[in-house]
Amino acid sequence: MRTFVAVAIFGGGIAHATLGPALRIADVAPDIPLIMVVLLALRRGPEFGCGAGFVAGLLQDAASGGLLGVQALTKALIGFAIGAVGARLRVSQPLVQVPGLVLLTIAEGLARFSLLKLFRFPAPFGELMTYVVLPQALYNGFLGAALVLALAWAESTRARTS
Amino acid sequence: MKIRAFVLLGTVAAVCLLLLTLQMRGHIAGASDALALVTTPVQSVLARVNRGTVGLWSTYRDWKNVRAENRRLREESQELRVAALRVTETVEENRRLRRLLALKESMPLATLSGEIIAREWGGWVRSLTVNRGRADRVARLTAVIGPDGLIGRVVDVRPGASIVQVLTDPTSTVGAHAVRTRTQGIVEGEPRGTVRFKYMARDGSGIQVGDLVVTSGAGGLFPRGIPVGRVRAIDDRGSALFHYAQLVPAVDFARIDEVLLIVGEGTNDVAALFPSTSD
Repeated sequence: MRTFVAVAIFGGGIAHATLGPALRIADVAPDIPLIMVVLLALRRGPEFGCGAGFVAGLLQDAASGGLLGVQALTKALIGFAIGAVGARLRVSQPLVQVPGLVLLTIAEGLARFSLLKLFRFPAPFGELMTYVVLPQALYNGFLGAALVLALAWAESTRARTS
Repeated sequence: MKIRAFVLLGTVAAVCLLLLTLQMRGHIAGASDALALVTTPVQSVLARVNRGTVGLWSTYRDWKNVRAENRRLREESQELRVAALRVTETVEENRRLRRLLALKESMPLATLSGEIIAREWGGWVRSLTVNRGRADRVARLTAVIGPDGLIGRVVDVRPGASIVQVLTDPTSTVGAHAVRTRTQGIVEGEPRGTVRFKYMARDGSGIQVGDLVVTSGAGGLFPRGIPVGRVRAIDDRGSALFHYAQLVPAVDFARIDEVLLIVGEGTNDVAALFPSTSD
């Protein structure tokens, strides 16, 4: 399990830049590391979510050639927050998963934009939200829900066979 | 919640902000390089896997598309081939009927068009069955022609059909003459399906290969000038009284489908109505 988690965090962070484009729909790519951080934080709590978010985000920053630390911080924050409140959410319902991931992606986008703005990032907020963050949020919502269902199905199958 | 979690979050935030600040001031380019040492090989492997998978997938999709396209094109090709055959057949039929109509309209005699519904092609008898009979007032010995020339005569009339004895029938005889030399003779069918021009007078034997032979009109059975055939070979019998010539019939009996029956009477020379007589 630990190996799987390590691979998920490490691979997810790097794979995003390499494999993400293959999953593009109408020029919108999902944020796979964010989905993984959320799923791991829900299962393992805030500390793990924070650490996983930091590692995945840092690798994503390095792999994408951006400023080191931006996504590391935003994903660490998301991982921490979800890990902290996840126990109180009924995340097994797709009606919660899809909007939840949409909101989390928007939140991560806002956090990233704010952080970059601190370091004089020039992109306009409206366009960034309309053409990047919101479409990606929707994509993340549906992909994340599909992943949750797939994991639940895999776990139930494993429980039945063991 | 444990205090440790907040400490961790604070540490992470501090590290990230420190990293960002240092980067903006251009101090820690080495950190990116160090991380790149880890990420670049993994990225290379993943890219290779990705390319391989995508390549395999696109090859499979191409293969599927090619197969589907191949099947579709095959079906389309078959349909087009059948359609083309139909069109060719219709065009050919149209062309034949137009020629027949043109001949019928220009003929100074009353004619009746008919369609061949059967053929007897054994060596003993060579005949065609035309879908015109007693009901159409067809009489025995009616001359039957096609756009290219003489076909034969009606030898039997039935209620809805007539039997036409063709020129190549061994018992068929037609009075004829060579157009160029005016040599008189009789065209007779042969058991092997050919025709010959016989009883050619010796003094008029100046006919040559390629000469056209037409009906003479003698006997009043056939109008004068209908093409019968062209000389293919001459059987020179030296001092014999009569000479013979082998003819190629003007009409390809195996291919003809529509005919004209000459039901009116007349002695007009109709040679000008046939294109083969113009030379």
